[in-house]
Amino acid sequence: MGAMNSRHALWLPLLLVGGACGDNHKPSAAASAMEIFGGNGQGGAPSNALHDSLRVKVKDETGNPVSGVMVAWSVVSGGGTVSPSSSATNSDGVAATQFTLGLTEGEQRAQAQVGGLAGSPAVFTEIATTSPTQVNLRVVAGGNNVPERYSSDLWVHGNYAYTGTWGLRDQQGNLLKIWSLDASGAPTLVNSLIVNDVGTVSDVQVTDDGQTLVLSGEVGDSGGIFVYGLSDPAHPVRQGFATVGLRGIHTVSLSTIGGRLYAFAAMNPGFSGDATEDKPALMIYDITDRFNPALARREPIEPHYGIHDTYVRDGIAFVFAWDEGVIIYDVGNGMRGGSPLAPVKISQLITSARGATSPSVHNGWWFHNPVSGEARYLFIGQEGPANIGVSSSGDIHVVDVLDLAHPREVAFFHLGGAGTHNFWVDEEKQVLYAAYYNAGVIALDISGTLSGNLSDRLLSQVKPGGPSNTFTWGVQLANGSLYAIDMESGLWQLKTE
Amino acid sequence: MSAILLIFLAALVLLPSTSRAQGSPWLRLGGHGVPAYTWADPVPRGRSLGEIRLVQPTIMAHAGAFSDQLRFVGTLNLEGLTIEDGELAMGDWGEGFIDRRHPHTYVHEAMLSFEREIGRSSESPRIALSAGKGFAPFGTDDPMSRPIFRYPVNHHLALILERAVLILGVKTGPVVVEGGLFNGDEPERPGQWPRVSRFGDSWSGRFTISPIAELELQGSHAKVKSPEHRLGFGTDQNKWSVSGRWSGTVARRPVYGLVEWAQTTEADGFFRFHSLLAEGAWTLGRSRLHYRFERTERPEEQRTLDPFRSLRPHLENSILGTTRWTIHTAGVSFQFRPAGILSASPFGEVSYGRIKDVGGGLFNAQAFYSKTSFWSISLGARLSLGMPLHRMGRYAVAQDTARPTDMEHHGRHE
Repeated sequence: MGAMNSRHALWLPLLLVGGACGDNHKPSAAASAMEIFGGNGQGGAPSNALHDSLRVKVKDETGNPVSGVMVAWSVVSGGGTVSPSSSATNSDGVAATQFTLGLTEGEQRAQAQVGGLAGSPAVFTEIATTSPTQVNLRVVAGGNNVPERYSSDLWVHGNYAYTGTWGLRDQQGNLLKIWSLDASGAPTLVNSLIVNDVGTVSDVQVTDDGQTLVLSGEVGDSGGIFVYGLSDPAHPVRQGFATVGLRGIHTVSLSTIGGRLYAFAAMNPGFSGDATEDKPALMIYDITDRFNPALARREPIEPHYGIHDTYVRDGIAFVFAWDEGVIIYDVGNGMRGGSPLAPVKISQLITSARGATSPSVHNGWWFHNPVSGEARYLFIGQEGPANIGVSSSGDIHVVDVLDLAHPREVAFFHLGGAGTHNFWVDEEKQVLYAAYYNAGVIALDISGTLSGNLSDRLLSQVKPGGPSNTFTWGVQLANGSLYAIDMESGLWQLKTE
Repeated sequence: MSAILLIFLAALVLLPSTSRAQGSPWLRLGGHGVPAYTWADPVPRGRSLGEIRLVQPTIMAHAGAFSDQLRFVGTLNLEGLTIEDGELAMGDWGEGFIDRRHPHTYVHEAMLSFEREIGRSSESPRIALSAGKGFAPFGTDDPMSRPIFRYPVNHHLALILERAVLILGVKTGPVVVEGGLFNGDEPERPGQWPRVSRFGDSWSGRFTISPIAELELQGSHAKVKSPEHRLGFGTDQNKWSVSGRWSGTVARRPVYGLVEWAQTTEADGFFRFHSLLAEGAWTLGRSRLHYRFERTERPEEQRTLDPFRSLRPHLENSILGTTRWTIHTAGVSFQFRPAGILSASPFGEVSYGRIKDVGGGLFNAQAFYSKTSFWSISLGARLSLGMPLHRMGRYAVAQDTARPTDMEHHGRHE
């Protein structure tokens, strides 16, 4: 009993200090800093409460959470309200409030304040629009237009779309298809290009200036990357190539770094029997000279099925390497002194196997949120077992990469009976579009803080080819339309509103 | 490899069937091969195809010592030299081949067993430890050692072979119980050895009972880690097998029969394949009639530009669909002994099969083969020198649970 009294005696002054400080919006003696912990960068309808609460975290000098600190909340602009107007941090050091947006559309701000703390005030920036996350996917044109082949990837630039072909249907998937988009955005096939000695045209991308197209090929003796000039966008002309033989290249991503154009190619595992040679690898080609692609770097990847895709942005390369997870490299960002010739590994994260039989990390998108100004979230597509044309598996895994050196998985999206494939993100509207194989195309609200199960963020879904003719590979937002390429039913034009 | 082959060949020539009194070390050797012409219509992409190949070229060595407490079973298989591109066999699949049977690895079996009785009576239970490269204790017999020439579609569902395996077996009365540890990886080419680093990542168990000498009933189960991805990062398999086998006489004629059911599930049940097979052979003097019915499901994998090959190594865990192969095979063979230790058994065999897409998927059998039924004809001769083909896949205490397949039409092999 005496000990209990002593403990209470020790806590009492702290509680009193906390309470007294709360009244004055000053921290307890131990608190030294405050930071936004969630709820920043959301979108919502005017006069409506935001989906997620605004949250801050208070820490002491050593980074430990501090409880009992009173945080004052207030609206900075936009005319909304916060409730409560003050709240105390819990045992995790987190305090929260709910922000109801004001009547006006556009940016609205609220803040958290604790006097004397570094990081105070912490300002939250949100967007009020009449229908911020209202997406209604619907088919408007295209479809059932590649009956002789299965389709693979797509890229849209200007008034043309380019699609790959896959495997063997009536004909082998050795074609690049070129589509003209009319004023309404509807596609019409205008040309086809044979890529000799490959069985699948697995990926395609056009440079931002529209002058160059690069595709990858596999399932044939001449697997590799192929570079085409687009001076006439309807008639690509082959300029250069780099082959890796039968093992092939699974995907290719383009990025300009230091004024030079690089192709980041995912080379499949080999089968020579030489373990070193057979390792899959990130092949980085300098294709500044379109006629002479030069291998700048071969970065071996452990052979857990290999490397499937790469996403490059701001000099950071995210390598999606199946059960090796996602590997993050500095290839010109500057944070670790890496370059395309000498990538420097920053970190690696093996995501959860939830949704499939293994992590099966396949593809991704690094989301730069223009509202919050953060590049916090990396969306990862997990490609689980599939019976192509019928069923598939694999979730969307969300990784917090605000600290690129310490990525951590924070959320997931699961759709029963189907698995995800390639993404496109409308960053301005904070909507992720995902090709979802037999589930077609989905739209996901990715505004604000992402945590846990995101199933209630599904905005819309459509199966372009109908229930028995849909197995969608990829999507791309362009010219106000969402284009979807479906393995079975070809190229579709969708509207999102 | 060539040195081992030379030793076997030299021994085969110099010691054609050396056998000593029980208790003394002994060695038996044999050679086997089947020159055969096989024609099938359709094959992938709708054409017909005929081929002459030397299949199943094998050299066998059996040895015993210390009153047979120590036994060795070895089988060299030279298909890597004679059918590098596989054997035309509609419906067959595995190890990167499809609609062709893959060549086996050169060292098909090399198993050393130590066996002894637990007790002093000859009726006492026997225990054995077998180790080497060979069959895991699962399922039924290697099709090479069965009367029907055509390889069944189900051999990747009903057998687990060419692994580094350690088997503990116990036999008491009519019951044999075996448990085995092995490496999950299947070979990808004839010269490849099991990955030692993966030894023990897979296991199987088999229960066999022979209520009468001619009848053998077995049930077995296996968990195989990543069989289709050699490095071990593919999906795992769960396998079941139940069978009944008869090898004896009916109306004083040698009769062989086998009925088996097998199931393999993969990727936590995402994929599921079944097989039901019944086959028999009836010997009349020097002639033998045989028949097999099989209904087996197989995965349709993405093929390379060679329509008889599927992608290896795997890049992902997807299939294009599942097909069900329902096949009737009937044939006749004749036994000759042209000289001493040489035996010849010319045969003719006809198969008719139907292919059905089941469970959906991109694969369309009608489009791929141009029809959904096929015919296949095989003409050839089994040639044996010395010891005939043994019943592969059973070692030590499991080796003698029932009569071996009567490949020679008469009597037991050993």
